Amino acid sequence: MSLDLIRDILIATVPLLVIFPTLFAFTTWLERKALARIQNRVGPNKVGVPLTRYGGRFSLFGLGQPLADGIKMLFKENIVPRDADRLFHLLAPILALIPAMLVLCFLPLEFPWTESLLPVQAFLLDGAVIFFFAITGLNTLAIFMAGWASRNKYSLLGGMRAIAQMISYEIPLVLSAVVVVMMVGSLNAAEIANAQADWNWFVFTPWGLAAFVIFFIASLAEINRSPFDLPEAESEIIAGYFTEYSGFKFALFFLGEYIAMFAISGLAVTLFLGGGAGPGVAALPWLSTVWFIAKIFALIAVMIWLRGTLPRLRVDQLMGFAWKFLLPLSILNIIVAGFAWHAQQQASGILKAIIWVACLLILYATAKGLDQLNRPNVRPREYKYAE
Amino acid sequence: MSEQIAFWMLSAIAVLGALVAVRKRNLIHGVFALMIFFAALSGLFLLLLAEFIAAVQILVYIGAVGILLLFAIMLTERVTGDDGRRMTSRGWFWGLVVAAAVFVILLLPAIQELPPPEAAQAIDPSVKELGHKLMNPYVVTLEVLALLLTAALIGAVTAAQGVRIPKEEDSSE
Amino acid sequence: MTLHHYLILAAVLFCVGLMGAFTRRNAIVVLFSVEIMLNAANLNFIAFWRYSENPALLHGPLFTLFAIAVAAAEVAVGLALVIAVYRHFKTVDLESMDTLREE
Repeated sequence: MSLDLIRDILIATVPLLVIFPTLFAFTTWLERKALARIQNRVGPNKVGVPLTRYGGRFSLFGLGQPLADGIKMLFKENIVPRDADRLFHLLAPILALIPAMLVLCFLPLEFPWTESLLPVQAFLLDGAVIFFFAITGLNTLAIFMAGWASRNKYSLLGGMRAIAQMISYEIPLVLSAVVVVMMVGSLNAAEIANAQADWNWFVFTPWGLAAFVIFFIASLAEINRSPFDLPEAESEIIAGYFTEYSGFKFALFFLGEYIAMFAISGLAVTLFLGGGAGPGVAALPWLSTVWFIAKIFALIAVMIWLRGTLPRLRVDQLMGFAWKFLLPLSILNIIVAGFAWHAQQQASGILKAIIWVACLLILYATAKGLDQLNRPNVRPREYKYAE
Repeated sequence: MSEQIAFWMLSAIAVLGALVAVRKRNLIHGVFALMIFFAALSGLFLLLLAEFIAAVQILVYIGAVGILLLFAIMLTERVTGDDGRRMTSRGWFWGLVVAAAVFVILLLPAIQELPPPEAAQAIDPSVKELGHKLMNPYVVTLEVLALLLTAALIGAVTAAQGVRIPKEEDSSE
Repeated sequence: MTLHHYLILAAVLFCVGLMGAFTRRNAIVVLFSVEIMLNAANLNFIAFWRYSENPALLHGPLFTLFAIAVAAAEVAVGLALVIAVYRHFKTVDLESMDTLREE
């Protein structure tokens, strides 16, 4: 019995540990290529099949680049600063990777070969969503550990910035997920995904749209993506918390960051974009996996696009945005969603449409008002001592 | 069988984590040991089928309390702890004796006096039921708790902010 | 696993916390110890609930939930006090804060 259980757990988890790192390699290539195109460059296009004679001849749009990068990282020297806390310096990248990998199992990703394994699937836990948020929070600790253990001012500054940022943005993140949890009445990831079958995606409702936008922005901050990449702002604090990391430890941080990106996009897909729902799923169940990953990549494409487009925020702008804009808006969104849910229970037809429009107007007006309130009071510069 | 292995491993981790947390000279190491303790306890809650409490344990203790402790340490102490100051308090010996005495005289006999254990019932814990309970009989408790947390938030901010010294006094000193 | 295993574990953890609170002089470590004791108590609540006659009432998880919330408030206020004390005495050593003692 026990052996069967272990086998089932392995069948359920090992594919996640294989598929997502593979996707990570592909995503690094995609990101470099897309950023290059945005900046009017070509991007990696030389490496074909590394370690063979055909390395340079068949370039395949540079698809071999991630593999070459990986080999380079493996053979780099591992440098630890003399005064560093050696144990924590080693543990930090591992601790950064573990939570990111762990939360993947809370995504309702069903592979064709895992249908018989329902008892061991973590996303069927009663509190899967809250577990997701709890474990994502551990990432903060890894970053603090890295920053503190390096014994470097810039590392510590980056770590402290990361903590402040992640704690601030975790609140709107969770509050926007609360809307969906409230509507479905369950914290179970699979139930949330199933509730959105037949194109009843939450992103198509006014409150769901607002929650999705808040969730997406907050998740950008949570995984330190541009424009919220202050903890690793190279123009200010070198590379932030991983300044003192090289070689494979650095690669682990990199991997952890991308896996976290997949995980949080996966949660956004589960909560707002219908999970694995899509055309053709009823006929071919395995298509749901494909749709799920395709939706994740759609979100990641937006993230790459934002990285290529937006400049980095200032620290005060970052904090002000979280506390003065996202937080009030997400609290109001919960109230609006509650009213809408109650109204929809009774009303039907034309009344429903009126409620929708009213919700949309309230949310839009609030967002606009908060924006006006938070506008910095900037006037044209007055010259005092110069003419 | 697997439950026993999990129990013994988790309890060993919990006790070791707690011991390291209270005895380590380096406070940052201590906080991380404390977090290992919290995580092990969360595992024990899972073993007792209290899923929601396990998640809340991670969310609140590791995610919030741990970070708060880290911030407090960074704001107050020289964290490396290698400055050779005395670590233990004056009455440390009596403290040790009292702690051991509490265990041997108070807690162990009380546990032994309990009726012989009965087997755990099969339960199907659901977060939904917990939510309904919070809304129906315990709603006043929940509201009081919300009030308490708000009061604690305001109190913490005012206490940590300290008294603002006006500028005139500052310059006269 | 029986109830007694969990109770003894909780008792051991409680005493570790007690020992920490009695033997360390750093205010923050004393706060750690208080947290350890609170957690041991929470473990007791959950264990008693699991082995109770009527677990469907959910008394254990509910009480633990409230206890965790109160503990979070306690830590926030406690650390704010530690920071305030540090600002005044320039130390968090509990034994050097003895200005109320008669000489």
